[in-house]
Amino acid sequence: MSETAFTLLVQGVLDYGIFMLDPQGYIISWNAGAERIKGYRAADILGQHFSVFYPPEDQSSGKPQWELETAVAEGRLEDEGWRVRQDGSRFWANVVITALWDEKGVLQGFGKVTRDMSERRAAQQALSERRRLFDHLVQAQETERRRIAWDVHDDSIQAMVAVGMRLELLAERVPEAHAAELQRLDATVREAIGRLRSLTFRLHPPGIDRHGLIEGLTSHLDDVVRSSWGMTCSFDHQLDRTPTPETAITIFRIVQEALLNVHKHARASRVDIRVRSADGGILTYVADDGTGEPMPKDRTREHFGVIEMRERAETAGGWWSMHSRPGTGTTVEFWVPNPLPLPPPEPGDGAP
Amino acid sequence: MTAAASDGSPGAPFSVLLCDDNAMLLETLSEVIRAQPDMEVVATACDGEEALRLAGRHRPDLVVLDVRFPGDGPSVARDMARCSPASRIVAFSAYDDKGSVERMASAGVSEYVLKGTSNRELLAALRRLAELP
Repeated sequence: MSETAFTLLVQGVLDYGIFMLDPQGYIISWNAGAERIKGYRAADILGQHFSVFYPPEDQSSGKPQWELETAVAEGRLEDEGWRVRQDGSRFWANVVITALWDEKGVLQGFGKVTRDMSERRAAQQALSERRRLFDHLVQAQETERRRIAWDVHDDSIQAMVAVGMRLELLAERVPEAHAAELQRLDATVREAIGRLRSLTFRLHPPGIDRHGLIEGLTSHLDDVVRSSWGMTCSFDHQLDRTPTPETAITIFRIVQEALLNVHKHARASRVDIRVRSADGGILTYVADDGTGEPMPKDRTREHFGVIEMRERAETAGGWWSMHSRPGTGTTVEFWVPNPLPLPPPEPGDGAP
Repeated sequence: MTAAASDGSPGAPFSVLLCDDNAMLLETLSEVIRAQPDMEVVATACDGEEALRLAGRHRPDLVVLDVRFPGDGPSVARDMARCSPASRIVAFSAYDDKGSVERMASAGVSEYVLKGTSNRELLAALRRLAELP
């Protein structure tokens, strides 16, 4: 390629600002991309010092000079940060400065390539903001459930316990004919207490917020699925990284709902749970050996449970599906991302 | 009456201290215990501080102690073993998760009765402790 053709190529590139600085940092060439990104026409900027592109705080800390010195010492410097357009607005830039030497080893100047990363940065920030909202939503819901569980425990259950105790006491004092009726009443109250207790357990399972996903699920399977429901179950897990508390709660809650469906509707004797890392997230299966008929008589409840599971997975940025085949049981399958914990928000992020 | 109950003389009723922060439950518990000829309620407490003060004063034979109790059930059980070493404690709790049972057990409380089971079971647990050597 002739030198002219090469110059034309560089001049015409629109996606990158490509220009040269002399050894002191004065601008000696300019291209269409640089004009598009920074707003200056060649005639306005040639001969000016490249520090005009830096925000005042970087200029006063000597960053432009330091960057040239680093490029000289190391051959090249890459930086991401705020830069300033001709109209004074800021953009988030990726900058590479390369020191250029002639064959005798004399510094001829610098090549500078600038990319406008504002959109990518805005997209990343939108994603972080969504994550923060999601985390907050999950935690707020758990806090509310915990509060309701405590209320039921400390108030409703205690009151019913008192009723039960009085009924039993009364049954000992009345004639036998009435005593039988009181005992039936007492039995009903105690059964209701049992139901309320399992409701509070469902609302706030002990363990998940203190011990994490695997231990939380293990004790749920032990305490509820095996002990209370008398079902056989297996739990297979392979995670390459511990999920954040919010991801763990999301998975736990979906599995809990799926298991409740199995218990209530599937007429199954066995359920298998599998949790493993896949595609940068966590893939979970809950498979039963029941009738494989997903539509129970109680459609409203079922509907609600399915909506809740799907919404949880999708709010987390994942997917959820349920497939049934009559005679071979039902499988709930869902995937949620397994992001790294969010760093605390940077105070400087709100810059224009 | 406490002297008669705590000197262990044959036929004297066992003295009982009831500890629960739910007033309705505390009152009901009192009625259930008072209906027993072999037991006598010497005091009731609705928080840990009061429970320890009353245990020190009355030295009851038996204590019914809520687990989620102001002052924390297991801690109160431990302190009670110091201020009234002869008192025997039954945990009475709305929670039956492993953690709660284990924390009470490690505080030296061997009898654990779930709220909502029958009065008979609570009374049986109290009598079992009272009859221990």
